[in-house]
Parts: sequence; C-alpha cells; structure tokens
Amino acid sequence: MQKIITGTVLFIYCFAASAQDSTKVIDSTFYKALNEVVVTATRTERKLGNVAVPVTIISQKQIQQAGTLRLRDILQETTGLFITSGFGAGVQMQGLSADYTMILIDGEPLVGRTAGVLDINRIAVGNIKKIEIVKGPSSSLYGSEAMAGVINIITDHTRKKQLSAGLRYGFGNPDLGWAAPVGSNTFKQSDFNITAGTYFKKLSVKYMGNALYNDAITYRPNSQARFPQPVWRFTNQLQLAYNFSSDTKLDMTVRNGYDYIKKELAVANNGVISNSYGREINNDWNINTSLSHRFNSKVNSTLRLYSTIFDGSEKLSFKEKPDSIYYDGFRQRFYRAENQTDISFKKMNLTVGAGYIIDEARSTRYDNSSNYKQNRIAYGFLQHEWVPNEKISVIAGLRYDDNRLFAAAFSPKLAVRYSVSKRINVNASIGRGFKAPDFRQLYLNFTNISAGGYSVFGSIDAVKVITALQQRGEIAELTSDFSKLSTLTPEYSTGINAGATILAAKNLSFKINAFRNDIDGLIEVRQVATRTNGTQIYSYINVKKAYTQGGEIEANWSPIKFITVKGGYQILFTADKEELKRIKGGKESVRDASNISRTLLRSEYVGLPNRSKHMANLKLTYENEQQFFATARAIYRSKWAVSNTSGNTVYDVKDEFGSAFVLINVSAGKELKNGIRLQAGMDNIFNYQDAGYLPNLPGRIMYASIQYNFIHKQ
Amino acid sequence: MKARFILSTAIAAVMILSACKKDKTPAQPADPGAFKVEVSGKIVTVKNLPADTIVTVTAQGQPIGTGHYSFFSLETNQWIANSDSATTKWDLAFAGSTIRVNNTTGGPGMGGAFVQIANFADITSVSPDSAFAVDNHPVSYAIPKGSGKGWYNYDGVNVLLTPLAGRTLIIRTASGKYAKVEILNFYKGGVTLATTASDADKTYLQRYFTFRYTFQSNGSKTF
Repeated sequence: MQKIITGTVLFIYCFAASAQDSTKVIDSTFYKALNEVVVTATRTERKLGNVAVPVTIISQKQIQQAGTLRLRDILQETTGLFITSGFGAGVQMQGLSADYTMILIDGEPLVGRTAGVLDINRIAVGNIKKIEIVKGPSSSLYGSEAMAGVINIITDHTRKKQLSAGLRYGFGNPDLGWAAPVGSNTFKQSDFNITAGTYFKKLSVKYMGNALYNDAITYRPNSQARFPQPVWRFTNQLQLAYNFSSDTKLDMTVRNGYDYIKKELAVANNGVISNSYGREINNDWNINTSLSHRFNSKVNSTLRLYSTIFDGSEKLSFKEKPDSIYYDGFRQRFYRAENQTDISFKKMNLTVGAGYIIDEARSTRYDNSSNYKQNRIAYGFLQHEWVPNEKISVIAGLRYDDNRLFAAAFSPKLAVRYSVSKRINVNASIGRGFKAPDFRQLYLNFTNISAGGYSVFGSIDAVKVITALQQRGEIAELTSDFSKLSTLTPEYSTGINAGATILAAKNLSFKINAFRNDIDGLIEVRQVATRTNGTQIYSYINVKKAYTQGGEIEANWSPIKFITVKGGYQILFTADKEELKRIKGGKESVRDASNISRTLLRSEYVGLPNRSKHMANLKLTYENEQQFFATARAIYRSKWAVSNTSGNTVYDVKDEFGSAFVLINVSAGKELKNGIRLQAGMDNIFNYQDAGYLPNLPGRIMYASIQYNFIHKQ
Repeated sequence: MKARFILSTAIAAVMILSACKKDKTPAQPADPGAFKVEVSGKIVTVKNLPADTIVTVTAQGQPIGTGHYSFFSLETNQWIANSDSATTKWDLAFAGSTIRVNNTTGGPGMGGAFVQIANFADITSVSPDSAFAVDNHPVSYAIPKGSGKGWYNYDGVNVLLTPLAGRTLIIRTASGKYAKVEILNFYKGGVTLATTASDADKTYLQRYFTFRYTFQSNGSKTF
C-alpha cells in the first residue's frame, strides 16, 4: 500500500521535473485554479493553493453542465465519494460511513438524519455558487460529525438584478425484466426553477424556488409497489443582505425544503405479501442570520445565529388490515449562536470562535414521544496560521466541545503546506475528528413486533429498563455485553493526509493525496439480554475499532484548444481491527464449495462492507467560444460487499457483492444571445440497473431543459 | 417440562413414521434433496435431515412447521424414530435452528456439548479441561442459539441462515462417548440459497441439516 503511494508520488514528481524544462509558460488556468478562494478549509477566505488540507471545489458551471438536479447527482461524479443507498443517499468519504460526513449550507449544518444518513436528495442545487469538499477530520473547526470530512454548499450571494426561470423534462424506459402494463414502465421526471434578485440602495434580495416531480415505475410484478417511489420535492430560499457600510453587513437566509414521498410498499413475510400505502413527508426549515463587521484592516468579526427544524413523518395504512395505521414521527430542532473573530498579524492569522448549541429531538420511537430530548453544547475553537514566507504555511487548530449529555470532546489539528517550486505544492495534516452519539443511540425505545418482537433501547435507558424487566422476571439471560453498557462516549478518529499538487506541463496538472483514518470506540448495536420468551434486547456500545486508508489521484489535461480531460481515482483499504486480529491469528474460517470449513486467509478479507476498493471517474468536456459545450462523463465503481453469506462473521471474497459497474452520462448545451440556454442529455446511456443493490438508479434517462434569463446582455 | 417434551415428540413420532414409510418405497437415488447417510472412513456425512420443516404458512405470514424434532444417533449413524425420544438411542435432536443433546430437559442420556472455534479437520482430541454444557430448555442450550453465538449466522435482511465456518460441535453422546460434528448446511440439497431466492424457497427449503461427524466408539477423547 505505502509502496504504491510512494511509487506514484515519485513517478509524478519525476514526470513533473522532466516536463518543467520544456515549458516556460505557466498555464493561466492552473494558476487561476490555485487562486480560487475557499472558505471551508480554514473558515476564512484562503486561496486554494495556500490551503494545507485536501479540498475539492465543484463550480457552478460544472454543476450546470452535468445537468444536476440534486446534490447527489454531482457528488457521485466526484473523486473519492461513494453514494450509499439505504435511508436515502448518503456520502461515504475516505471509506468512512455516511454518518461521519457533515453537510453544510453556507457553513451551517443540515440536520435530520435517518439511521445516521442525511439524504442528499433533499438538497436542490439551484442558486449554488460552488460546493467545497474538505476531506479528512475537520472537527477542530466544525465539531461533531466532521470526522470523514465536510461538504459545504455555498450559495450565490451576488448582488445583482436578475430573473431567470427554467424547465426540465426527462424520462426513461428501464428494462424491468418482465412485461409491465403499458404506461407503468416509464420513469418521468420534471423540474422547474426560478431565481429572482434585485437591490435597492443598501438592501439586496434574492429568491430561489425549485419544484421537482419524480414519477415512478412499476417495479415488481403483481404488486402495487412502485420503484423508485413517486416524489415531489419543493425548495424555497430567500436571501436578504443589508450593507450598513462597507465594513458592516447583515445577511439573512431562510430556506425550506419540503418532500412528499408517496409510499406504496409490498412487504413479503414468508411468502405472504402484505401491501401498505401512505406517505412520507420531510419538512426542513433553516434560518441563518449573520452580522459581520470589519473593525480595521486587521480585525474582522462575525456573529451568526442559526436555527433549523427538521420534521419527518411516515404514515402507512394496510390494505389487508384497514383499521390499523402505522405512524412514525421524528422532529429535530437545532439552534446555534456563534461568534468568530479573525485577526491578522504580520506573519500570522488568528481565528477565535465560541458558540452555544441547543440540539433537541423527539420521536415516536423514543420512550416518551411527546418529550424533547435535549443536548446542550458549549464550544470554543482557536486556529493559528503561521506564514513565515510565501513557501510555507503552518496551521494549528483546536476545538473543545462541552456536552451536557456525554463526555466532552477535544479536537486538535495540525497542517503544513510547502511550495517546493512554482509547480509543486506539498501538504500534510493530522487531525482528530469525533461524532457525538445521536439521540437514537441514547433514547431509542423500539420493539419490532412485526419482526419477532426484538427490542432496541438507547444506552441511557437500557440498564434501567432491563433491570426493571429483570425484577419482573422477564429476563432469561444477560449477555457479556450487558456489563459494557454505560454512558456512550463520542466516537473518535485520527486522520492523516499527505498530498501534493503538481503542474506537470502547461496543460497538465495532478493532485494526489494519501490518507489513513484510525477510528476508535465506534458505536455498535449489540445484544445485551434475552427475554424469557426468547426475544432479544439490543443496545448501543462503544466497542469497535477500525481503519480506512488509501489514496487518490486527480488529473486535469487540456490536450487541444476547447477540450479538457479530467480523471480521478481512489483506492481504498479498510478493516475492523478486531476481525483483522482474529484472521491473522487463524481464528476465522470460510467454507469451500463442498461446505467444508478451512482457515480464512488475510488476502481473502475485504474489511468493512459496502465499500468499493476502486472508484474512478473520467470527464471529457468540449467548450468553445460560442457558448457551446458537450460533455461525456464516466463513473466506475468496483464491487462492494453487501451481505455476509460465506458462513462466518467477517466480510470476505466469498460473500455476496454488488457488481462493479460503469455509468456513462452525456450532455450538451448552448447559451444563445437572447438569454436562452438550451441543454439536453442522457444519464446512464447504457441503461445499467441493479434493482437489488442500487435501488435508486432508475436506468437510462433522457432529458431536455430550457432556461431563460429575462435580464440579459443584448 | 421434560414429560411434556417426551409426550409431544411421541405423538409426533406416529406421524413421521407413517410418512417415512411411504417416502421410502419409490426410490429416487439421484435426488440431491433426499435424506442420506454416507460413511467415508472415520467421517460420516448426513444429508438433508429435516428438522421441523415448514408445512404451511398462515394467511398472516406465520410459518407452521411439522412440530417435531428429528433424532439422530452418532453411534449407529441412524435417524431414530420419534417413539424412541425418551430413550438413550439418540444423541442429537434437531428442530429449526435448535440442536439439543440427550440429557436433563432433553432425555435420560449423559449428553453434553460445546462449540469449539476451530476447523473440524484440525481437532484431533477433546481437550481434557473441556466443560460440557447441557440444555436448559427453553432458556439456554449447550449449543447456543442466536446469530453469531453458536453454530450459525442469521441474515435477517435476506432471511438466510448460514452455518458458521470453523465452528465444530464437540458432543458427548447419550452413552458418554465423544464425537465432533460440523454443520455444513441448513437448506435442502446442501446449497445455501441465493439472497435473491424466492420467499417460497426460503420458507420451504430451509431446516434441512447437512452435517458431518467423527464418532470415537472406544470412549477415548481422541478422534
């Protein structure tokens, strides 16, 4: 592993060194890229070339050209990001689960996760200036959840008069593998967006609205279940800005996302199919106010107030049992007040911040569903950037989070950047990330009657509830894990990143990064007791240790005028440390074709499930001076373990895998002089489908869109 | 408790015996799903021993099994009639994912068992300090029930049960002798179903044990 990375680094370095002599002109677009401003890496505006941690920027143009509707569409084309299925679409980064990727809009976190996953289909991409992705632990600035990294969606705050509207229609005819009734086998999708902005003196106003309807196809024969489910999604966003003076500015954003998902489910239980129908509604409000003031050329201070409420509910009626109704409700409220002050000295910059969070949630699955469970967090952070000269910058940061509900978390980070030459920048960082236990892990009180009557209790109540059951004589047996039940502590990771940006020739650049994350105290669901009737009781315990490591490389090449080729690749290795120890000690076995057990080899172990060892993407873009563009984009993912079927408790090569696949998307568009922009495209042109393991991939979709700018230059 | 177990199996025995006789007349040697005992040197392989297999599913989706255990003798390599459930003629009783020994709540024998984490072929003797557990039906069993705890792994999402590799059952038989047993498969024909198999197959083809064992007839602890 290390050899591969060192080898790659050396190869690129030599290549860059040899290319250096032949080209004297430094390509302007490369420097433009390095001069791009990023805010997520340091929470202050910095040039990309001066940032010591791995950052990816997705521009508005890239988002548009890819025909993106939702955040998921563009992130799946981004190097190193694995879009997970199950409880919506989550983002796995550097091999860490979607639970550990923080998603921000203008620096403020989105809440409302289901089983740890924040569904990125909830986020429309209208009025986005760019998306910044910081990989590696970033808790030193962002606190809990920022363990794998941070995705920050930066909205367009440009002060201008604008009015534009757009329509898009798409459809597809997936191959269902059976003869569906005419009309029920077409996937339809329509999207409408509008953006309007204006300003009067010191005030500027901007509105963005988006509506999306995804129709569904009939998925399974003889069943009313449709798949993907029919979804209506609405997003409204209003931004106000008031410039008191050139030094003082007030910004306010109100955003609402509303999703209505029609549910038509068919659940098979031992061959008997029961049909249920109903709806799921997700309603997400975000209100973000910030007041920033520049005291002088050296001191800048911002006060931010943020409130977000997420309301998710599901209601189902049963065809076979009309009088029973299933209701599942979840509501989370998150309030935050924060001040951040940036002070610049001659050769150093200091950022200090402190804030207070009230985070609360209630759910029909908690023990008292009408009561809000609450956590309060007081935190402070400090970041010190030292720039002794143009070539070097060193950033040291730390954050302290004091939680009312569980142990405090301390997150330091150190990052170094060094410019070897005008063409080569190297950087390295080490940091600690954490994720606080969520309300579900603390308060869940759920008994699944339809699946045999097992129960899951959150760690706060588990001991109390089980002891009470024991006194009533309802507990047959406590497992050895019962004694491990205690107040949950945050999960921690230590992440190391080392990489380089290399300009190999005037039209060719590379970005490489190697990473390793060591995760400690991962929270797992474990059986802690058995009832006298044989049903199991589960709870949450900090037990697991794991690591993820790998490397990624991105290349950007312009072979001829108007054409750019971009490629990206990530290799990933993961392991559960306990499992690895057992395998190395010859204590895990596997069955051969005739069911006979033999010792499992280290080389057969695949590590953590639901991860692809290889992921790659390739983008070809043609763009000329007449505002015409065409792109072809390929996404590759190698197989990933989905189910443990080989007769042991670890994932190995004999288990069941989702098949490796390639998706190819194409699109082309032209901006006319009269303010009209036309675009058409086809996603998944080879109609790749995997209903079992890629349930959200609807097959080939063709679409066309028209966008009209009412206010345009003649 | 003990009396009820013996009684219920005795009643069920009448049913199975009559069923068995009928099955045996039209011989179908090529049927991979048929019950079979194969002896190869010291290793005996038992194929497709039904264990409370599903006979029907209620309208609510509740599967109903035959309601009785299948008894097997490691000493005589035979499927023992349910009428002999209260004797020491059998060593292991199978029903669903439950495997019971002939002792205490199960029968009058000296049975006992534990699960050893080692490959079948690598076990050459029963270690002298081994502690044999007995069943305390229905609370706990010498061969523990539960996914990942005893001899199997249960995938609740795909509704599939796979015997864990590298787990060997060390058995003390009803007569106090020793055997090592490896459960090979839980499905008819000895092939675990694909995760994509139909619900009907997952329901009706389960609970057929294929296992192999070595029995030490001289009473020593070496195999």
